Amino acid sequence: MSTPSPTQMSMELTLPSELGYEVIARDAVAAFARRLGISPDRLEDLKTALSEACINAIEHGNLLKPGLRVQIFCRFEEEQLIIEVVDQGVNAFAPKGEPLSITEKIAGLGSLRGMGLMLISQLCDEAGFVPRHGTGNCFRFAFYRRPTPALQR
Amino acid sequence: MMLEDELTVSTRERDGVAIIDLFGDVTTFAEEKINGAYREVTNKGARFVLLNFRQNDYINSAGIAILIGIVTEVNRNNQKLAVSGLSQHFQKIFRMVGLAQYAEIYQDEEEALAGFRRLAAA
Repeated sequence: MSTPSPTQMSMELTLPSELGYEVIARDAVAAFARRLGISPDRLEDLKTALSEACINAIEHGNLLKPGLRVQIFCRFEEEQLIIEVVDQGVNAFAPKGEPLSITEKIAGLGSLRGMGLMLISQLCDEAGFVPRHGTGNCFRFAFYRRPTPALQR
Repeated sequence: MMLEDELTVSTRERDGVAIIDLFGDVTTFAEEKINGAYREVTNKGARFVLLNFRQNDYINSAGIAILIGIVTEVNRNNQKLAVSGLSQHFQKIFRMVGLAQYAEIYQDEEEALAGFRRLAAA
């Protein structure tokens, strides 16, 4: 396949809000990103970030309610792959302060879960919740195609 | 339609190390299998435990939470834990979440066994 033309540089997916479907989304978005020239190591970062964002939408935004959907919007502009994951907003999901460290988790000070947002923020070049018209939480994150030296890992 | 990915978990013993082989995806659906395998080797008196990852294309934060639970039990039971077989990406993820503070990360099973031998001799 050839490199996508500018008009092909966006993609939308709609998934059932069920754990497991994030893997299908991950593979589709990774294939899209690969065609845009995202490097192999960043593709792995993208796959983890996308999976975690979908899991948050399914578990926290849609509260695991069957029959709901998760939407994913991908677009490439200004050398960035921008991905938005949108749930149906059963619950307004926003991070509640700093996540517990692993030491605190092992000491029993809170849930063993709750590392998804931390992972996403470390793996992406930009990440955060953004306002959205209508209902639903919208989590946006971005990967630069050619990282600046300061961003290279 | 359920999309539970199959994870195959098995246990074996080699050179005094209890090895838990994990083939497949490590997600929220893995909890019962991983905890069951850990309980099995602990009930047999394991002192050294190796989580040997094989063909793991997908390890998510829910799966990592299960492994943090194992670390908690390992500390409580005064055992030593190591992991092997992770891809470079998942080694990075394990370091990001802090698991490397509690479990040595080795490239493969042979390297992990050598590490445990050094630990036992110390």
